[in-house]
Amino acid sequence: MTALLELRNGSKDYRGVYAVKDVSFTLEQGEVHALVGENGAGKSTLTKMLAGVVSPSAGEVWLDGKPVSFATPSEALKAGIAMVYQETSLVPSLTVAQNLYLMDDKPFHRLRGIYIAGQQFLQSLNFHVDPTALVGALGAGQKQMVEIARAVHHNARAIIFDEPTATLTPEEKHQFFSLVERLKKRGVSIIFISHALEEALQISDRITVMRDGEHVITDATANFDREKIVRAMVGRSLSDELYGKQDRQVRPAGAKVLSVQNLSMGNMVRNTSFSVFAGQITGVFGLIGSGRTEAAKVVAGVLKRDFFHGGQVRLDGRPVRYRVPRPAVQDGIIYVTEDRKLEGFFETMTIAENIFIGAMAGGRVKSSLVSMGEMKQIAGQWTQALNVKAINTDARVIELSGGNQQKVVVAKALVQKPRLVIFDEPTRGVDVGAIAEIHKLINQLADEGVAVLVISSYLPEILQLSDRILICRQGRIVEEFDGQKTDEETIMYAAVH
Amino acid sequence: MRVFGRLSQEQIVFGLAVLLCLGFALALPGFLTAQNILNLVRSVSILGILGVAMGLVVIGRGIDLSLVALMAISVAWTLQLATNGMPMGLALALGLAFSLAVGLLNGFLVAYVEIPAIFATLAMGIAVYGFGRYVMFSLDVVYLPQDAEAFRWLGQGRLLGVPTPICMFALVSFLAFLFLRYTHQGRYLRTVGDNLAAARISGVPARPVILMQYMIAATIGFVGGCVTAASVASMNTRVANSTMIYDVILVVVLGGIGLSGGKGGIRNVIVGTLLIGVLLNGMTIMDIQYTVQNVIKGVILLTAIVIDTMLNPRDEQTAQQGDI
Repeated sequence: MTALLELRNGSKDYRGVYAVKDVSFTLEQGEVHALVGENGAGKSTLTKMLAGVVSPSAGEVWLDGKPVSFATPSEALKAGIAMVYQETSLVPSLTVAQNLYLMDDKPFHRLRGIYIAGQQFLQSLNFHVDPTALVGALGAGQKQMVEIARAVHHNARAIIFDEPTATLTPEEKHQFFSLVERLKKRGVSIIFISHALEEALQISDRITVMRDGEHVITDATANFDREKIVRAMVGRSLSDELYGKQDRQVRPAGAKVLSVQNLSMGNMVRNTSFSVFAGQITGVFGLIGSGRTEAAKVVAGVLKRDFFHGGQVRLDGRPVRYRVPRPAVQDGIIYVTEDRKLEGFFETMTIAENIFIGAMAGGRVKSSLVSMGEMKQIAGQWTQALNVKAINTDARVIELSGGNQQKVVVAKALVQKPRLVIFDEPTRGVDVGAIAEIHKLINQLADEGVAVLVISSYLPEILQLSDRILICRQGRIVEEFDGQKTDEETIMYAAVH
Repeated sequence: MRVFGRLSQEQIVFGLAVLLCLGFALALPGFLTAQNILNLVRSVSILGILGVAMGLVVIGRGIDLSLVALMAISVAWTLQLATNGMPMGLALALGLAFSLAVGLLNGFLVAYVEIPAIFATLAMGIAVYGFGRYVMFSLDVVYLPQDAEAFRWLGQGRLLGVPTPICMFALVSFLAFLFLRYTHQGRYLRTVGDNLAAARISGVPARPVILMQYMIAATIGFVGGCVTAASVASMNTRVANSTMIYDVILVVVLGGIGLSGGKGGIRNVIVGTLLIGVLLNGMTIMDIQYTVQNVIKGVILLTAIVIDTMLNPRDEQTAQQGDI
């Protein structure tokens, strides 16, 4: 049987720097093929070559045993290869049905017609999405369903998912996996790019591991386990360092730094109360939409709590009410964002300038004028402490990898010498090596006596880091666990019910 | 395209200016004399001063369309007060205070009321012009009083043989450069333009910085207005209705200060100003019609932007593959 889709000795270089180097990749009929690797390993570039988004600088794409060359993604789509991106490519101001039929070569559509057709089509896929709903109003999971439906509508025989589960809640993930099963039964082949190894192990038939733009290993999933994949990904075994159960002591609670009582904000944060102690890591686990980020942002002054009955926030027993983040920063409450590109770093500036902005705004700079020497010195100190990999501190942040960008954002926050740090998804979109380093840093902070709050939707991360675990559900902290005397099932049970 | 290497728009524009200079120098006798070069820079120095004001606002991801109107009205009011017998110093102080008040209002509307800068300042420019013409003075041209010798020097004097407008342009540029590079507020200004949300979360006083940027622009505008008034011994308030504001934006954008904020610096304003200066001067010597000059200016701006987009694509992949 000929393979459905193949890349033969494909390479792609950007000005001499290889994103993918001499890789051969085969997608068989009706298989689910997981593609894993660290950030920058070349997974996305590889699949983009298959989907006609970028053209290979060497090598060929073969479809059904014949060489093909797609000039644009829409040509690839016509040949039956669809790519579903991490950031959805839907038009938010159009309805679901309009998005579904957007790419059809028809100048006009009758709205009623496409709503009826869309309804039938979505039902045939067993997707519970209203075809007349605006895409912008849908949740991440439903958006993804629409993307998938669009791919199926174009009779895609191969669908490439780029990090499909990154933004999904556990329930949505479950739905996604059953959908993959159904697609497979219809004979659709699937390439699945993921950071989450458990998912790859769970749903794929075969796994390919890439590292630094090169092919490392392809084998049937049955022959893999977590350990083996991680070893192939990083070239060394990181697993114990990362998420393995460690024999560690739970840190005792220090002084009560933050105490939140009956905090409310709109319908995202509803009358919630919790405390954070010095010298301890408090983990917050909750599904997306549970109000955990919003509660943290209210504490840090990024968002304003309700004017009436908004509740009380006390820092060291003193009631505080921040309308903007600046006074919170000056009081030592620092929020490290979950979306570094949107509200983390300054992309036109260098590493040194980014870190120095933090120092200035936090009042941690000696002279009242900007001294280049002091900037260099502070930046040098922090890039070394956090092991930021860059040629020098004059490199622009936008040119760094995700992990190093995150480290710069963290450095920009820590240079402000906080008493309470809130890490919101500290390792999202960060490669495996950097995850370990960021975790080490968070542990160090707590050991030094800083109060640390870590928000994460990745259970192993919460379990590995936290001394106490708070569960956030529907805008409220609903339960508290001891960091060592609990397990994944217990936490998940508390978070979803 | 790779033969060119990675050129910035600033370098391209500077190259264009040098090329034009060479071309004019070869083709036009009298272009490359010291006198003409001084004239050339002098003729654009006011545009340059206003460019610095606009540049600072644009770096902070704003735009100030009331700049020229405010300049005209505040300086005309100053001259009117002086003509009515007020001491020049006091008149200048009042004019500056009026400028600052309007700048503050602009900043307040943008930072606290959160109106898009383009609409807030557009409306403010119209309001200020109308207010000035209705309340502050009645004629549309206000003349400099005869006895204001010191003030006149600002536009017509010389400092070490260099006309004062050029010195003022140099001074304003230098101060703005120092401000952006060496003060905390200057650094904050850039963070606000680069990423407002990140600036806020980092503890940058974002809204006061926005207030400040419009007040600085108003101040520099007032200085530019004084130089203008001193050069021609009057202030013609009809410039508020001319295309001057677009020329100021042209200088800023041409020099390579991105309208998306955070990018570029004072050097870009100077380079943009020089290109426009060379162009206008050469065309004037060649006696090209005003309307044709506008066509040429427009084409130059488009060319600079197109070349910049080709050489420095927003995203490498889209540039190589074409937009999807």
